[in-house]
Amino acid sequence: MTISVLHSGTQTLIMDAGRPGHRHQGIPGGGAADKLSFAIANHLVGNRWDTPALECALGGLHIRFNKDYTIALSGAQMWSQNQGMNLPLNKAVQVEAGDILTMSFTRAGCRAYLAIAGGVKAEPFLGSVSTYLPAKIGGLNGEALKTGDEVEIGEPQGEPQNLPKGHIPLLSNHIVLRAEQGPEWDALSDASKRYLFTTPFYATTATDRMGSRLKGDLVTLDTALKMTSSPLLPGSLQIPPDGQPILALADGHCTGGYARALQVIQADLWLLGQIAPGAAVSFRRSFAQEAEIVLRGKNSYYADLIPGFSF
Amino acid sequence: MTSRADLPKISVYGDHAVLVDWETDTFSPDINDTVHGLAAKLWESGKYIEVVPGYDSLVCVFDLALQSSKSTKRHIEDVLAGHDFSKSKMGKLVEIPVHYGGLDGPDMDRICAASGLSMDAVIALHSRDEYRVCMMGFIPGFSFLSPAPKKLHHPRLATPRAKVPAGSIGIANWQTGIYGLESPGGWQIIGRTPLSIFDAKRESPFLLNAGDRVRFIPQ
Repeated sequence: MTISVLHSGTQTLIMDAGRPGHRHQGIPGGGAADKLSFAIANHLVGNRWDTPALECALGGLHIRFNKDYTIALSGAQMWSQNQGMNLPLNKAVQVEAGDILTMSFTRAGCRAYLAIAGGVKAEPFLGSVSTYLPAKIGGLNGEALKTGDEVEIGEPQGEPQNLPKGHIPLLSNHIVLRAEQGPEWDALSDASKRYLFTTPFYATTATDRMGSRLKGDLVTLDTALKMTSSPLLPGSLQIPPDGQPILALADGHCTGGYARALQVIQADLWLLGQIAPGAAVSFRRSFAQEAEIVLRGKNSYYADLIPGFSF
Repeated sequence: MTSRADLPKISVYGDHAVLVDWETDTFSPDINDTVHGLAAKLWESGKYIEVVPGYDSLVCVFDLALQSSKSTKRHIEDVLAGHDFSKSKMGKLVEIPVHYGGLDGPDMDRICAASGLSMDAVIALHSRDEYRVCMMGFIPGFSFLSPAPKKLHHPRLATPRAKVPAGSIGIANWQTGIYGLESPGGWQIIGRTPLSIFDAKRESPFLLNAGDRVRFIPQ
């Protein structure tokens, strides 16, 4: 059975855990930009954590369920209603055939995940149905959902689950990312090295799944770099000549030619998906031992709850 | 084994990746061979989420929960010490038909003017040598090739085009490359191939892989 897209919202994409292992061919791993909220939504409806779900950026999605389903919303705080009744975040809810769900615009965070028991069906490419718009792969014909689309839903896999309160990630419009120095850190001016970790930047409207162009104090290099294009990763902060940094996100380019000043730590990569245009973005310096401790702590905190999930 | 190809700098790239960088000023085929030989060996080990080769650098991404940058560095050093990759066997040879100039190569006139060559001479020069595919990305199928002959070197466009058609062949400084998909781009476009470099619906979606060799056949 299906759900019908009555209004596709700002950008709604079918996502799963992505297709890692193809950056050498120019294909980013992609997948749910906020892997944690995506995993939580799936877990709540009794799906495996990596089952395809809908990623709704900024809001505006309206859908009709054509069968009774168990659903859950996680991630960005959007004022969402089913048949006019407020829908809680991070809680499994039963909806009935004919029900209409509406999502308003986000108040905190950028992307909400709508998981439906049984998961969303779409055409896989390189083992993943995640939509990657630049190459028109995954999703429905490689595109974002459109008004009028019918999306197939699979058979339920397990029982709905609860989420202990402590496991609910708190999102705000000030995203703080722990980061370590990137390969070209040494090329930065001393002043830039200091304020990268002290002054907040703002995500401009040039923010999408590929990257976020930040605005703030100018970040300058001591000497201009003559870099040959080199591999680039999600969570890398690049410094182009104009001094306004670009943060590479889930669908970020696989190679780049600008100085890589910072790299967000593995444990905080999920937060990259919640940077909305206008949000404040701060970097906090992380040191090698700390990153590993944080990652192990967070992994074990969620491992018992969500089988197979790790940051 | 005293060539510079043996002596890369291995440095951390954040907490979950390591960068191997040969830090050369010019393109070196030996180094690029080493990059691809090392990349293949590292990928075979099954320890990494991504192994991404570049012109003169390589990045491998690991899961910090399973290994550290220290053990990764050690692994890379061991693999480098145990092999001479500078004579790595290159991949397959692919012939690429190209229609140079005209609507398919809107920047051909600029390259002719800058080089002082006729269009025929530019075509002959650009298609003279075999190139190697040094790196893939920034978009799927974009093939970064080994340097074009020196007379053809030219800076990128001051303002990138919003749309460059798939299959376009361009020049950016010393680099030459093929756009795998339609995308925005700032390279000087001198021709276009009708071959589809990337096609998600094809059984093997990528026509080229890093390490392959390319010969342009003017049409």
